[in-house]
Amino acid sequence: MIKHHPDQDLLFAHAKGELSLSMAIAISAHCALCEACKTAVAQYTQEAADLAFNQHEIDDTTADNIDISANDISLMQSALPDELQTMLAQILCQPELATAPSNEPILVSVKNQHYSVPSVFRQHLDRPWQQLGKVSRMRFTLNEMNTRASLLHIEALGEIPQHTHKGNELTLLLAGEFSDINGNYVPGDFIMLDGHTKHAPKTLKGCLCYIVLDAPLHFTKGLSKLLNPIGELIY
Amino acid sequence: MENIQSQSYQNRYYKPISSLTKSAMDIDISAPSNSEPQVELLAALMLKVANQRDRAAFGYLFTYFMPKIRAFGLQRLNQQGLAMDLVQETMTSVWTKAHLYNADKGSVATWVFTIMRNQCFDMLRRVQHNKEDAFGDDIWPLCDTVAMNQETQIDHKFTAKLLKHLDDLPLAQRQVVQGIYMQELTQQELADALEVPIGTIKSRLRLGLEKLKSFLETPND
Repeated sequence: MIKHHPDQDLLFAHAKGELSLSMAIAISAHCALCEACKTAVAQYTQEAADLAFNQHEIDDTTADNIDISANDISLMQSALPDELQTMLAQILCQPELATAPSNEPILVSVKNQHYSVPSVFRQHLDRPWQQLGKVSRMRFTLNEMNTRASLLHIEALGEIPQHTHKGNELTLLLAGEFSDINGNYVPGDFIMLDGHTKHAPKTLKGCLCYIVLDAPLHFTKGLSKLLNPIGELIY
Repeated sequence: MENIQSQSYQNRYYKPISSLTKSAMDIDISAPSNSEPQVELLAALMLKVANQRDRAAFGYLFTYFMPKIRAFGLQRLNQQGLAMDLVQETMTSVWTKAHLYNADKGSVATWVFTIMRNQCFDMLRRVQHNKEDAFGDDIWPLCDTVAMNQETQIDHKFTAKLLKHLDDLPLAQRQVVQGIYMQELTQQELADALEVPIGTIKSRLRLGLEKLKSFLETPND
């Protein structure tokens, strides 16, 4: 049972298309695993559509003839300026697209483990895995300044030294399980931590996560301090 | 929320977010009561485009949505030229992907908005990062995704197990199983690529899958 969800503001912003790529991927992947949030986003999308399409009516003179019947179709079209007539004609030359895009989950393999992940990751999985002990990371190239997004794999019985973050850290568990002082997590759990929270996730059976970081990690515990440069390498 | 003027279809959209969040889990997403003639008309026209490639019906949709998309584009992209690009890209997809529209899942306006938002997302990244990205339709799929429930999860674990045995298959069968299940080729595409009749593809696939099944049934410990 998924216990951790994105908050409603985030879901609405997602429906409006206002989130950055890294976060939009996270919400989309969560919705592929969580029927409740998927339904909520569908509802918000309807609301966003209405907001976008109806708020401009007053300013827009061309939209005056909204309440027309099907009889007026030809009349309206002939009223289009030349440039739009041309655009319309160009569009009508296009053939129907034969194939529907596939939304099938995608198989990801790391260290002889095979996981299926939501199709939203489709175009991001061509990066190499960087491995460090039980931890492997595939960093995405999303070009979002300091924000970093990656897939993180921890092998069975692996853990990450206790650390805090400079900025927010989002963890979306895609497969397997892990736990920290706050409890156990299941696939689909969407865990947002701020820069003040210390945590040391560990996994018994292994896990695959999608991680978004504002800033590189800084470890806080004893000897692991020596490993600080690794904070950047791991995530 | 009931105190807003009337209970007409339109007003359901002007509820504050808080009421939505409260009811997000049990919202009725079935189509709104079709008392609104505009909604009905748009849906009827869209069906004509989807089923008959009706050009006049599309002309109406174009005329109706064009100013709305342009206004949205101006707001998001802040440039007349880009706003018109958004109109063209969005309406081109409405025309070429009309058959993906599913009236049971929402109104025509919501469908067009979805296409426009996805396109706008990619255009913004192009403007900001100078990248020819096309991620919008991956993030917000145009046709419905089935949530990965427990069953598909298990199914994929099973698939993963199966794939481990792929190398034990004869080459001809392995090619077909890989082509269909990993490269997502159609049987016809595979037949063309391997230059064999489609019947051969079908039988290789059947033999390959049967063999894989037999590997799984053999206790290996």
